[in-house]
Amino acid sequence: MPVNRFAIALVACTLVAGCGQEEQRKKKEFEVDFPFAPYGEAHSAKPDFAAIEHDHPLSVDDLYRITPELLSLLEQEQVDQIYARLSAGPIPDGPYEGDLFFPRGISGKLRLSEIAGGGLRGLLVNVAGRKLDAIGEILWKGKVFYRDQRLLRNRIEDLRPLKRVGLVEDGGTANPLTKIEVGGRDQWLLFPARLYCGQSLLDGRRESIIIDYAFTDELPGYRRMPDVMAGRDGFAIRDEIRMVRPGFYLGRAYLDRAFVVNFVLWNDEVAKAGEAEFRRSGQVAEDCWRGTQVHRLDVAAQ
Amino acid sequence: MKGALQLVHVVAVVMAASMFTSVFAQQSETAPGWRRDEGPVHIAGQAVVHAQDIPYVEACAREGLNASECAGRLIWFKATAGNDRFHTYVFQQRVGVMIDWFRVLRSDQRGDRFAAWGAINDPSCCTPGSLGCPARSLDETYGLDWCPGDEELLSYVGRKGYRDPACDFRDAPLVEGDPHGPQDQRQSACDLKFGTSTGALGIRKFPNPRFDRARWIEVNGRSGSWEGYGRRIAAAGGEHEPAKSRLWDGSIEPPFLIGTSCGSCHIAFDPENPPDDPARPRWENIVGLIGNQYTRISEVMVSGMPSNTLEWQMFAHARPGTSDTSAIPNDQVNNPGTINALINIARRPVFAGESVRKWRKAQSCDGQSAEACWCEPGRDGKCWSKGLQDETVHHILKGGEDSIGALEAIQRVYFNIGSCSEQCWVNHLTDLRVVDPQQRGFGQTPFDIGQCRRDCPNFRAIEDRLQNILDFFLSAEAHASDLRVARENDLKSFDPRAEYTETDFIEDLESEFGDGAVARGAKVFAAQCARCHSSQPEATAGQTTGIDFHRIDEASGLRADWLGNDRPTPVSEVGTFRCRALHSNHVAGHIWEQYGSETLRAQAPDPNIAEPADGGRGYYRNISLLNLWAHAPFMHNNAIGPEICGKPANSANDFYAMRPRYVDGSNIRLLPPEQQPACMPYDPSVAGRFDLYKRSMDALLNPDLRVPKVTLLNEDVTLRVGPRLWDGTDKEKLLGFALTIPAEIDGRGVTAGTIGNFRHKAFVVDLVQAKFKSDEVEARLEQRLGPREGKKVLADLKAIVKEVRKSPNGLVEALKKRPYLVKQVYSSCFAEVENAGHRFGEDLPDADKKALTAFLATL
Repeated sequence: MPVNRFAIALVACTLVAGCGQEEQRKKKEFEVDFPFAPYGEAHSAKPDFAAIEHDHPLSVDDLYRITPELLSLLEQEQVDQIYARLSAGPIPDGPYEGDLFFPRGISGKLRLSEIAGGGLRGLLVNVAGRKLDAIGEILWKGKVFYRDQRLLRNRIEDLRPLKRVGLVEDGGTANPLTKIEVGGRDQWLLFPARLYCGQSLLDGRRESIIIDYAFTDELPGYRRMPDVMAGRDGFAIRDEIRMVRPGFYLGRAYLDRAFVVNFVLWNDEVAKAGEAEFRRSGQVAEDCWRGTQVHRLDVAAQ
Repeated sequence: MKGALQLVHVVAVVMAASMFTSVFAQQSETAPGWRRDEGPVHIAGQAVVHAQDIPYVEACAREGLNASECAGRLIWFKATAGNDRFHTYVFQQRVGVMIDWFRVLRSDQRGDRFAAWGAINDPSCCTPGSLGCPARSLDETYGLDWCPGDEELLSYVGRKGYRDPACDFRDAPLVEGDPHGPQDQRQSACDLKFGTSTGALGIRKFPNPRFDRARWIEVNGRSGSWEGYGRRIAAAGGEHEPAKSRLWDGSIEPPFLIGTSCGSCHIAFDPENPPDDPARPRWENIVGLIGNQYTRISEVMVSGMPSNTLEWQMFAHARPGTSDTSAIPNDQVNNPGTINALINIARRPVFAGESVRKWRKAQSCDGQSAEACWCEPGRDGKCWSKGLQDETVHHILKGGEDSIGALEAIQRVYFNIGSCSEQCWVNHLTDLRVVDPQQRGFGQTPFDIGQCRRDCPNFRAIEDRLQNILDFFLSAEAHASDLRVARENDLKSFDPRAEYTETDFIEDLESEFGDGAVARGAKVFAAQCARCHSSQPEATAGQTTGIDFHRIDEASGLRADWLGNDRPTPVSEVGTFRCRALHSNHVAGHIWEQYGSETLRAQAPDPNIAEPADGGRGYYRNISLLNLWAHAPFMHNNAIGPEICGKPANSANDFYAMRPRYVDGSNIRLLPPEQQPACMPYDPSVAGRFDLYKRSMDALLNPDLRVPKVTLLNEDVTLRVGPRLWDGTDKEKLLGFALTIPAEIDGRGVTAGTIGNFRHKAFVVDLVQAKFKSDEVEARLEQRLGPREGKKVLADLKAIVKEVRKSPNGLVEALKKRPYLVKQVYSSCFAEVENAGHRFGEDLPDADKKALTAFLATL
């Protein structure tokens, strides 16, 4: 997936005149025949997810048109409309690449900061923005799922930003930092989280896969610093993901139950292995509650 | 009266009841009421009855219910319609509020359950290990009561395949002429979802297939405890921050999913036949429709929350017998109300010619659009068509908001209890954390009945049987419970041959309230009360003299007068605590829009109140005074009359002690303990109810003697808003924005309503926009508040912006300097004193007041 650091590039592009034209062309091209329901600006002008799914079902072809890059170009309502029409799919296993993208149209800061009007940042979010951004980037690099244990850890390539601000604790020999090798690169494993099927905070009609850091301090390999930052006494991070197609998940990250950022996870091997069957049937094994509304996924075009 | 009308027995029901009584007679001798469910039993090739249903079948026989009424009763008592997921997952994870079900339902505190939670113990259940109980250890039942059907249910904890007892529910015959007949096309009864009792009536349990026994024991130490699951874990930020518990850990699956039926609030003790011991009732002490006057369902719903959370403070202040049904579908109008007493429904007023847009049964959708008509796939002509028509409807709820039909009003109860929440309504709720007006969740959107019918099988299972439930409402079980009959029953408990005649009754009342008190009271009632509290046409026309309020309607055998005309009265006229009248969920664009008639929404706002009151709000309907003797304290919030309390043995559950209500009216601060009038302990006996009634009448008719009651924050509440960050130079110090709401500001108490009614989203939007869109904010404020006040508010908002920029945690201080912003400008209800108003009759001579009290006791 060619989207590493796309979020940063997108923010950078918005600062350079003309840089966004290619992205806008891609977005418009995508919107032409992708089934979105019409919507307005106000919250009350956003259509009900059940109606969107009933009136504008996705096809497997539609799902294979979605890329991380395109998602990052869409308006948040469009991302939400896609997310709501996905099911949780199987709880992933193994390493996944990751990237994040902030809701379109905002500066890259937290939604609450943006709403508060920049100059009022202190009103709602009294945090040092630079530190938060740095930590966010680190958190969303990639993940390793331990499906059988219903656990997850985050992959960190570079510990230096955290070390610079004194947020990595030396566990000594009793609790050494663990690492894995992915694609020939060493990656540190931090921020352990629980995995389970649970409620989406956006769309209740079916469950999502939840990545929950609340009780990170009870998990194997927990390291007080920096892991505590993701837990219930820190940012209280809770992610939820749904499957776009095998090997590719769309997620939403919440801090203390407030939506902050979208993210994507992908594993090329899983994607390749599952593509033929998914294109044929539109079906995958589902670990979570699928709800009772008919989940329409058109495979007729196949 | 009720006893005299219980003559119609359905033969099959009686046969079933008698056969089962015989089958289980031996077991009942050693363990009264406890019956092992040996699985469904077929009777004469027709009935399929589980042992857990036998008391219900017997009750149908006792109450004289026909097949439809009996079916409706069983549904009302047991059907959760799938809300077990709501009470186990949705409320906790989506809404963010924890229920500690073990705290409420733990079997080792079964004897304290009524006193603590007002929950009525299921007579068929028992504490494991108690004499005759089929379960010997709490570990067998995961700490809860053992109840009939559990021998099967418990074997499915942690695995799939449980077949719900509702699958064997025997439907009543379809009504002749049903447009969806004549073949039976009702949704599978399995989707009613009964499960088995938890030991508290109306609260049901289901085996959790995701339960992991090993992890449960790791967390709790044994299978029979949930202690580790609910144990408080202190916040790192200190005691002032709310503690958490593993209830917040969604990866821990409890052994049961817990659901609630409508009966969880509506099942009550029979005023005519109360239990000797409220903690150990018998089935004959229990009725399903008058509402549990002792329930603390709001405290149940926040039983897993620390008291210094916003959620606890917002929920856990409803008086016993009340709940805020818009706390979850939150409209930011803090308004607990009583569970409605359903009495003599056949005589309840209806209103013709009201403009109602709703779905109606149809046999085809020919010529209609998909939006206006829908036929259920796989069925033959089972269609529903939506349109606007004039209809004759009831006015239901405190302000008559449910106004498109009695069936639909019953249907909506199921959403109040969480059914179809995921499929149909949580996506329409306000998310209190979303402050971006462009994002989903910023405000409510309307629930779509058609969508829910299409997508939620539990909805269809209930909808296809609504007539049965309505028939139950109209049955003998909802007939009036007269004080004379109750007293006679009381006497008969000592001497079965005892009689207590009408003459005895009047003599007793007159010996207490004065000679001729009842007759004199009737005249006072006619002159002072009947214009609102009589349903007879003469009273409505203003001709109240000479009306016989006891007249019997020949057709129904009921008292002709429902003793309330159900017409709306502007809240400023009645003068009672007005927040409930400002409830907004039926306003256009809000969640229950589709359950309100156009006639309702066309009501003009009350011109004498300053809060937003559009969309048909601002009224209370004139309620029935039937059986007033059994339903004190009074008013929609149970606030006029003494406070009542359970005094549980477990002081951690003594909710009244945590929140006394009597205040000094001058500063809205709690009176010191020695000046607090004592609460009256729960006493559902005939004498206990009558005593409470008399004291409440005194308070009603002597408003100047009422000590003001206000529900205050009982401790500071700290809200964490936005994320927090460790300070890199001081690892033990937490930074971040924490908003502490003090329980007292400048020596004046802060009401729980202040928080619940604070429209923080509008405030935040205006505050932010005051900086960079001040023209828009000014125009908005001036339109709402007038030019002078609008400018003042804008200036204050701008000043707050500056103050907060200087001191990011200074918002509370900034608001404390300008309390009118929170208490008025951005409040949906300013009212504070909860037992004010309804001063009618205050100028009557004392003798008339006594007479009125005597007369009303006969109704």
